[in-house]
Amino acid sequence: MQPATSSTQSKEAHVVRTRTTRKTAAVQVTALAAASALALSACGGGTTASAEAAPVATDRDIELSLVWWGDDDRAARYEEAVALFEEQHPNIDVQTQFQAWDDYWTARSTEAAGQTLPDVFQMDLAYIHQYASNNQLLDLSNQLGVNLDTDDFDETVLASGSVDDGQYGIPTSTNTLGMIHHDDLLDELGIEPPEEGLTWDEYDAWIREVSAAGADHDPQIYGGTDYTGTLWLFIQWLVQQGKTAFADDGSPAFEKADLVAWAERTQPLRDDGVFFPVERAKQVEPLTGMQVGQAATEMTWDNMMAGYSAGAGSENLDLLPVPTGADGSAQFWKPSMLLSSSATTQEPDAAAALIDFLVNDPEVGKIFGTSKGVPAVAAQRDAMEVEEGSIDDKIVGYEEHVAERVTEDTPLPVEGYGVVEAEFKRLGEELSYGNITPEEFADQWFQSAESNLGGS
Amino acid sequence: MSATTTERGRSAGRGGVRGTATSSSPARGGGKPQRDRSDVKAGYAFLSPWLLGFVLLTAGPMLMSLYLAFTDYNLFRAPTFVGIDNFTALFADPRFLKSAQVTAVYVLVGVPVKLAAALAVAVLLNAKHRGQGAYRSMFYAPSLIGASVSVAIVWRAMFIDDGIADQVQQFFGLPAGGWVGDPSMTMPMMILLAVWQFGAPMVIFLAGLKQIPAELHEAAAVDGAGPIRRFVSVTLPMLSPVLFFNLLLETIGAFQVFSSAFIISGGTGGPADSTLFYTFYLYLKGFTEFRMGYASAMAWVLVLVVGIITAVLFRTSRAWVHYTGDVR
Repeated sequence: MQPATSSTQSKEAHVVRTRTTRKTAAVQVTALAAASALALSACGGGTTASAEAAPVATDRDIELSLVWWGDDDRAARYEEAVALFEEQHPNIDVQTQFQAWDDYWTARSTEAAGQTLPDVFQMDLAYIHQYASNNQLLDLSNQLGVNLDTDDFDETVLASGSVDDGQYGIPTSTNTLGMIHHDDLLDELGIEPPEEGLTWDEYDAWIREVSAAGADHDPQIYGGTDYTGTLWLFIQWLVQQGKTAFADDGSPAFEKADLVAWAERTQPLRDDGVFFPVERAKQVEPLTGMQVGQAATEMTWDNMMAGYSAGAGSENLDLLPVPTGADGSAQFWKPSMLLSSSATTQEPDAAAALIDFLVNDPEVGKIFGTSKGVPAVAAQRDAMEVEEGSIDDKIVGYEEHVAERVTEDTPLPVEGYGVVEAEFKRLGEELSYGNITPEEFADQWFQSAESNLGGS
Repeated sequence: MSATTTERGRSAGRGGVRGTATSSSPARGGGKPQRDRSDVKAGYAFLSPWLLGFVLLTAGPMLMSLYLAFTDYNLFRAPTFVGIDNFTALFADPRFLKSAQVTAVYVLVGVPVKLAAALAVAVLLNAKHRGQGAYRSMFYAPSLIGASVSVAIVWRAMFIDDGIADQVQQFFGLPAGGWVGDPSMTMPMMILLAVWQFGAPMVIFLAGLKQIPAELHEAAAVDGAGPIRRFVSVTLPMLSPVLFFNLLLETIGAFQVFSSAFIISGGTGGPADSTLFYTFYLYLKGFTEFRMGYASAMAWVLVLVVGIITAVLFRTSRAWVHYTGDVR
């Protein structure tokens, strides 16, 4: 009897003790969040580097931090470029670091709250407004012509890095939307690629045709992937109708009816199971329908074709402009990424010089190729060694080809864009699963826009 | 020996209580022997590493998060006080309600199934067989690696289109297509993953089973009780404190499921929010939407709910948990 008694009693004590520790654990997520918050809120109020720009000092040692998102391949290219920079500036030492996209922004937001953002770091259009309007970024305006040369930039492209008259980011490269078609799949089905200049409705009809032909194929081939949940494509569609996506105050400039119309026009294709199925799409993530050889077309940023080609294991991919709207075929450039500097940097001159080197130097253009998008500056584009007929060649050729269609400015980067873009995608999936109607899609997105975008 | 253990356990308990009492009223301690107070001081000195950690890393941040729960805070700008807006917004948020529902199903179904599996395996492993030690290690192994990211990745691979589960299904002529992309199949998959990690409660059950005196079973057998009757009337009552302990632990643990859902859904809580567990939604709000006030409010609602459920479990335990030698 005795052993049982002692053990149950000590266990009882253990039960109570464990309960408290587990309860503590219940709030550890918050605790963590709050721990940083505690430290962070203590040091609000940024310092502004308003000193006059001067040529980079050569008489003392300078240390710069450079951070980007990306994979090992990109890291190797950055290291090569940085080595060149350090060769030209022997007194500057560049410390590098990189993360994957999601972790990258978690890390940056924590640094921003602690006023410790890197001297130079990659910035995205979806976040630049948020960082700039919260005084986290260095206004590079006074560096222009001193350490930073932007003469070779296209006006609209450079403008995408400016917020409220300040130049907070320098685009490294551009891309524009396009339709990638996988000709291996189309050849198998004996169907011609879509023709340039087709309308959105014609494109939908073409998808139907391919999906019908590919129904008995193993694995089944579909004409395309449901594109309704891509906010950029919706914006593209609006732009073609002469509408703008966002007002100056950051709120949506379109009506709920526009969004309902957008979701409704693809509803018959979803109802009939014509698109590459969402159940499958979720399973092959992060690959896409085209990369697993089941979707003949997909619309995305043109520079994505390199990854698509690698994923699909085929060079037989090509690009077409996005379908034409009733009122035209206008497209816009989007910087595939920008480089920004922290408002708290101790070395604004050297930081500007590093940005200048990364966006202008021909050697850097050669090192990166189109892996970050097509370089924004001609000198870098020309320095690239692209093989005739290669994927890189097709991407560069596509951008030259659609240049005349690019008549619109890059849509304003609004604060909170990243959040509402993710919500758009999520609701698009709900739509594909048949859980919500086009009206609910529009309602729920506007709800999110109200709490996350400006002007409310 | 056993008597000594018991005595030591009890005196340790008393000592703890007395320590607290003294510390709470140090001014009144004049009548106490000097040595006693310096003992208390030494005690706190030895405790200080933990105390410091607790105050700075747990209690402080918890208080801060309680404050943040009543503010609008996005990490960039200073928090602004908004009263109970976060809490009212919570209950009007369809995704919050969805996440509460997903979590409730996971707890209500997953915990009992997991405990049943753990108990069943423990009973099997308690029988005397050759090589029982090896079996115990083998059955515990999944739990050693169970909480890790790699297992969630493997799990995803198993239940994906053309994965092992899908091939077995096809072999038996069941519809194919994989579980990962189908919103109605992700919850069974998540529960299965939890159940498979039964090792920790199983080991505790096993220890509990070992403590049940063989005489009880022998006596019951002599009285003509079969194995099932012996399990229900001897094993279960004798095991009830352990069962209660495991139930509490697993319930609280299940409320906090995060990493497996994060991996299996690819960081989205999808497909169609079917793996949007509570803590996961909290993370999304806090760290991808940067709505720290809202996330803090969610965390405190969770603390309250888990606290209430724990209290209810303790209250009901009086009816079904039997402690040996208990005269209540």
